[in-house]
Amino acid sequence: MIVQSVEAVGRAVREVVLGAGRYALFLVRSLFSGLFPPYRFRILTKQMYFVGVQSLSIVMITGAFTGAVFAYQSNYAFSKFGAETMIGATVTLALVRELGPVLSGLMVNGRVGSAMAAELGTMRVTEQIDALESMAINPLQYLVAPRILASIVMVPALTALFDTIGAFTSYWVSTRVLQVSTGAYVARTQWYVDVDDLVGGLFKSAVFGLILSSVGCYYGYYARGGAEGVGSATTKAVVAAGVAILIVDYFLTLFIAPLGVG
Amino acid sequence: MMEIAIRVQGLKKSFGSQQVLRGVDLEIPRGAITVVIGRSGTGKSVLLKHLLGLVPPDEGTIEVGGQDLWKLRESGRRDLRARFGMVFQNAALFDSMDVFENVAFPLREHSGWEEEQIGTRVREVLASVGLSSAVHKLPSELSGGMRKRAGLARALVRNPDYLLYDEPTTGLDPIMTAQIDALIRATQDQHPGLTSVVISHDMQATFRIADRIAMLHEGRVILHEDRETFRQSDHPVVRQFVEGRLDGPIRPDLS
Repeated sequence: MIVQSVEAVGRAVREVVLGAGRYALFLVRSLFSGLFPPYRFRILTKQMYFVGVQSLSIVMITGAFTGAVFAYQSNYAFSKFGAETMIGATVTLALVRELGPVLSGLMVNGRVGSAMAAELGTMRVTEQIDALESMAINPLQYLVAPRILASIVMVPALTALFDTIGAFTSYWVSTRVLQVSTGAYVARTQWYVDVDDLVGGLFKSAVFGLILSSVGCYYGYYARGGAEGVGSATTKAVVAAGVAILIVDYFLTLFIAPLGVG
Repeated sequence: MMEIAIRVQGLKKSFGSQQVLRGVDLEIPRGAITVVIGRSGTGKSVLLKHLLGLVPPDEGTIEVGGQDLWKLRESGRRDLRARFGMVFQNAALFDSMDVFENVAFPLREHSGWEEEQIGTRVREVLASVGLSSAVHKLPSELSGGMRKRAGLARALVRNPDYLLYDEPTTGLDPIMTAQIDALIRATQDQHPGLTSVVISHDMQATFRIADRIAMLHEGRVILHEDRETFRQSDHPVVRQFVEGRLDGPIRPDLS
């Protein structure tokens, strides 16, 4: 009984360690393969369109409502001690430093990470990845590197859009609905929010882009067992990348704070 | 004696605790079709992957055209691999591309040809497998037999020196099977220097297309002969497999 449970724990730990090692190798090999020609510009632009342009609506909607509701809630808190003019600075700081990167990362993960896992998983179980290899084409270079690169570029762009729209709806709710003074709102925001806050947030979102695309591709690339395998790979990819984004966010915040950025 | 194109010696491969190949020795002659038969799960596909140099062997060597695959660098292996064509069991066409793009793909990747040259070659190969009418169809719009033919066209488009088929007729009706077999035979006859290796467990098809037949059983090649000698072999395992009998040295897994 005890031996069995110890064995089970051991096996689980072994699985985790092996999985982490395999993921790290996969990531390094993919990034490395992308450094060498032939450069896949057509696939890259196609992926940038898929990751970036096609995520515009969900990011804009989430950004708009996040800014609006956060302004509302901040007003509730600040009105208890008469500091309503701080709403602008508070909401904008929270948006560019935390909410923009994390929420856009999670939303894009739901759309893009799952799609990458499903697409590569299907290619794996129908032997399309083997076919690439048999044609002397490195599938990591052909399939994975462009997807990761596209996400590293496009997720920060989407985050910037999220930040902008959130800041605008927050301004609109505060000054038009909650009747906060426009001048004070703008002045406080300008005073307290710095470019470094924005840069730190965008840096984080680039890391989230790396995470969601590489984790999605990883689970798809190693999918096995037909349609069911692809389905479970997709679910695992979204959950793992979502959790990883939140954990990594905490440590990134700790590490970039001393640099004076973010 | 025919020239040996691919030489496999003492090839062993395990996955986890399961030993799949237990010392395969096989000499594949140039300019002929060698069919490797065996039961499902005896490592036929694993053997094919070894010939392509996609999987490193645990022990043993694989020589292609006199070069030991695993003494080459990765780039050398890739160059050698580019001289192979592979026809997959379910064709493995890229489903985001139409038939034309699928067949053009290896040329776009490796030939450096102009678009016009590529177009001419692709149409020529598609005509040779009887797919001229389906040039711009997507894989999802093709029948099983058409997919196989498109897969063959893609494998042939760069005039490979080696052509590998993984169960080319699995899942096809008997008429379609006969058609694909005829196509495999005709392809071989049109390209005298081509070395073809077919993985199969369909005995009828095997006797139709093979020049030589090798039988893989329990991780080893137990018999490798020309077609007629193989057909008349009295090796008990071979006899049982060829005749598809239940009783004999091969134990069906009933557990």
